[in-house]
Amino acid sequence: MRDGTILEARNLTKRFRIGNRDVEVLRGISLKVQRGEFVAVMGPSGSGKSTLLQLLGGLDRPTSGDVILDGEIVSQLSDREATHLRREKTGFVFQFFNLIPLLDVYENVALPYTIAGVDPRHGAAAARIRDVLEMVNLVWCERNRPDQLSAGEQQRVALARALVGSPALLLADEPTGNLDYATGGEILNELWRSCDERGQTIVLVTHDARAAAHADRVLVMGDGKIRDEIQLGRRKDSGAGPLIARLAQLGL
Amino acid sequence: MRRLSSLAWRNLQARLLRSVLTAAGVALGVAVLFASLSASATMDAAVSRAAADEMGHSALRVQALEERGLSRETVALVTKAAGVEVAAPALERKTYLAPSAALTPSATLPAPVTVLGIDAVAEPKLHDMPLSGGRLLTAADTLSAVITETLASGERLQIGDPITLNGAGSGPTDFSIVGIVAGDGSVPEAAGRLVMVPLSSAQALFGVTGVTRIDLSTGPGVTADELIGQLEATIKTEPYLLARTSDIADSLRAETADFRGTLLLVAAVVLFAGAFLIFNTLSMTVTERSREVGLLRAAGTTRSQVMGLVLLQAFALGAIGSAVGVVAGVGLSSLALSWVNSTGPISLDAPDISIGSVLLALLIGVLVTLAASLEPAWRAGRIPPVEAFRRGPKGAVAGAARLRWLVLVFAVLAIAALAVWPSGSPGGSGATLAAGGLTLSFGLLGPLVVYGLMLVAVLIVPVILGPLLRLAGIPFRVFRNEERLARSSLARDISRTTLTAGALVMGLAMVVALGTAAASVRQIGQRWLAETIPGSELLTSIHPISPTDPAIEEIAALPGVKSISPIALFGVPLGGVRQEAAAISGKDFAADGRLVFVPDGGDPATAFAALDAGGAVIVPKSLANQSDILLGDTLTFATGETQTKLRVVGIVAHSLPGDSQEAVLVGWTDALGPFGATGADFFAVRYQPGLESAARPEVDATASQYALESADLGSVRGTVGDALDRVFRLLDALALVAVLIAGLGLANTLSMSVLERGREIGVLRAIGMSSRQIWGMVVIEAGILGLAGALIGAVLGLLVGGLLVAWSSGGFGLTFDPPWVSIALAVSFGVLISVTASIYPAGVASRQSIVRALQHE
Repeated sequence: MRDGTILEARNLTKRFRIGNRDVEVLRGISLKVQRGEFVAVMGPSGSGKSTLLQLLGGLDRPTSGDVILDGEIVSQLSDREATHLRREKTGFVFQFFNLIPLLDVYENVALPYTIAGVDPRHGAAAARIRDVLEMVNLVWCERNRPDQLSAGEQQRVALARALVGSPALLLADEPTGNLDYATGGEILNELWRSCDERGQTIVLVTHDARAAAHADRVLVMGDGKIRDEIQLGRRKDSGAGPLIARLAQLGL
Repeated sequence: MRRLSSLAWRNLQARLLRSVLTAAGVALGVAVLFASLSASATMDAAVSRAAADEMGHSALRVQALEERGLSRETVALVTKAAGVEVAAPALERKTYLAPSAALTPSATLPAPVTVLGIDAVAEPKLHDMPLSGGRLLTAADTLSAVITETLASGERLQIGDPITLNGAGSGPTDFSIVGIVAGDGSVPEAAGRLVMVPLSSAQALFGVTGVTRIDLSTGPGVTADELIGQLEATIKTEPYLLARTSDIADSLRAETADFRGTLLLVAAVVLFAGAFLIFNTLSMTVTERSREVGLLRAAGTTRSQVMGLVLLQAFALGAIGSAVGVVAGVGLSSLALSWVNSTGPISLDAPDISIGSVLLALLIGVLVTLAASLEPAWRAGRIPPVEAFRRGPKGAVAGAARLRWLVLVFAVLAIAALAVWPSGSPGGSGATLAAGGLTLSFGLLGPLVVYGLMLVAVLIVPVILGPLLRLAGIPFRVFRNEERLARSSLARDISRTTLTAGALVMGLAMVVALGTAAASVRQIGQRWLAETIPGSELLTSIHPISPTDPAIEEIAALPGVKSISPIALFGVPLGGVRQEAAAISGKDFAADGRLVFVPDGGDPATAFAALDAGGAVIVPKSLANQSDILLGDTLTFATGETQTKLRVVGIVAHSLPGDSQEAVLVGWTDALGPFGATGADFFAVRYQPGLESAARPEVDATASQYALESADLGSVRGTVGDALDRVFRLLDALALVAVLIAGLGLANTLSMSVLERGREIGVLRAIGMSSRQIWGMVVIEAGILGLAGALIGAVLGLLVGGLLVAWSSGGFGLTFDPPWVSIALAVSFGVLISVTASIYPAGVASRQSIVRALQHE
């Protein structure tokens, strides 16, 4: 792991109004993520882990507290500034892939460049797109549309799209939640390799212990708070045994 | 089913904006339909009233065909014919009240009056003359006059006042007003300015011995048809026309039939556009609710119940929209009638709002809505229960389904249109939309072809949409990413895009077609006057005056005047029908040299010389083609017992304009002889080069002294054009309603599209697309769709406009010259409406919470 904090959350709270009552989803969360670190966030449904991920990625604003990404206080940015921050410093992978059905694989992966006004067919952008497609082993289907791919392939396209801009932070929300065991394993290995080989910082939200076992560190959430932190350390073997044992101790 | 009906109602409420927009579309369509039906009924009633006013209690009218009128011998023969109970001969002429002749030279002439010389005994038996003061004429009266209330109030005349009428025979003559009849009197063309005097006094005033018409009532047990047979056997000495009240009504009705037909065509197009909106909305709703419908089916709802649910929603939208549409239609109808009132001889009152027309509009509105909803309802009924377990919306509407639906709605509207098609418009010919002498004429077949063409065009749209979207995207390439995404989004569901653009295509096609037809008619009017009138100014007389009248000689002698050429317009009997003819001076036309002879149409100098010598005729190309007339042929005119035979000495590209056709040209010898013309109706003035502006004031002043109205060709063209413009602008305005409906449809489709693409938009936002870019993407989507639809609409409109022009050529040989600037404006308007319609959905899309959007299924 390299030195330096890239992401910090300070006393984050988030309240939603549902009907006539306020529901506090996050209750004062603070955390730090180091550059190149792979952090997993676990917890039961409704524990607030997806909300935390959305705040960390600048998709939503906290009710109180701050998110600091690569030195910038995300929660104080205007919508326009937050948009630029997301464009330049984050990448997202979602449970349901969220590819644009009308665009082919290449165009989907190139989307961050397209949005930024960079021609994805020429120069450094084209080279980078080709690199990530090779990395996720999808060069063969770059002209295919999403509906012509398997679920695993679609998620690899989504991963390639998240990585193509070399974001400072990759945020993944249940990326294996919609995949079978073997395909999910492939995606987790891709994530792990990008972190281990290229120093990609990753925050992964999951309720799957096997997925979380790939992380360096696991934050366990419950009732809108971080209830525990499990240091697993970087290792080739991503066996979930020790983590499951610890989770069992926590009653999860 | 009762609970299911509450579900249908709740569904409409849950998607309130969509429901309101759809009902508004139906309302707009029905408003135009109602306005069209109501305007048509009002015109019909006005025509019947005018015919009844004109004919009174007469069973038959014998109308003189020639200008000199029916002779005394003919009047005597008719009066004594078996079966005739009362015969009321009358002479109708226009003139000015005497004070107007004394106006200062620069003053313009006032409105003329119509003088009706009547048989004081017979006339009141056949025509009601309700007095508002004084008495009617008696057999003993000579210089007495009865005037209408309208004229009395307009000229501030009272019983006992003198009224001096300018005549052609005896000069100004004083009459004493002995009575005032209520209202406008019995001559619709007089527009209320009517003076009735004894027949003999009128004949003396205008220096004629004939009458223009004889109204007849039949004796007991004699029918009008029997009397017609009797008269045809009796009168053989001079040409005449026989008309019953129904014939006069039909003739008046024919003048407005194509205008009413065009109104109905526009209404059908607007309703068709509304049907697109309904179909698209219900289609989207069914697609959106497929999982919910699947659940209902899984829970035991039958297919017919599901269909009923969709039809019930459609019925509610159709009923509400139609009711609002009828209310809006009342206002629209009033506006339309007041707008066109000045274009025809028949005065139109407040719109005719009968229970029948209200019910008909409601019925057609609901029927079209239900027809448009049948396909989505059928499709909803076929959603399988397993759909309840699927994620996300279902795919696009199949092309075959759209075809079925379009043909069905087309058929419903076509049948409805046939049911209410205005009478007096026989298929193919005869009826005309007349304005200022120019006509747009077509029968029932024309509108059906236009309508069918629009259906075919919309069916072709899916095939050409891909390349067209790329083309329409070019102006938006400045925003490359947004344009690419917007275009992809449009290509996602070609069916929906086609249906959304369909309304726009039809609305704009109609606007462009009408604009093209209007421009062509207007243009030919300009060219035609410039090509045929030998001069730059016209002096018009309201009663024929001799070509050698001293007044004309005086004007011809004024400095700067090169020539003054007399022209008379009259009817001649040719081939059993009335043909319009013009008497011209061959010498003047030869000197002017602007009349164009067709190749092999004869030598102009020889032809003009033959015309002046008599026994010769020049025919326009349109008539020559229509009747296979060749140079050297002899035309036989049924001018009485001795027929008049004229040799065709020339064929010209365009001839002088009559009321509804081009005139054949004859010389003055024949006109004043066998054809019975009594003088020139107008004089064409040609000035010495460069002297017109200096010479005109004196010419105009002298002309005014002799009650001749002067007008330069430009102002004549302007009058013709203005009258046409009013009619076409009204039709254009109604057709633009279809474009508004397209706007509503676009707002609906884009709102739905934005909802459907919620997650996609969320992803784009998450990976760095700004809210402004999202906004731009939706607006550009609308812009591309609007431009594509407008381009197809413009091309289709040009095609339809071309057909209208071809069908409307009548006698004038119209040319196809599209008004490109107006077309560009129409296309811009289409794009503007589309972009405006997208503002709300674009705002929704750009303000969408990223987190919520990502949670969207």
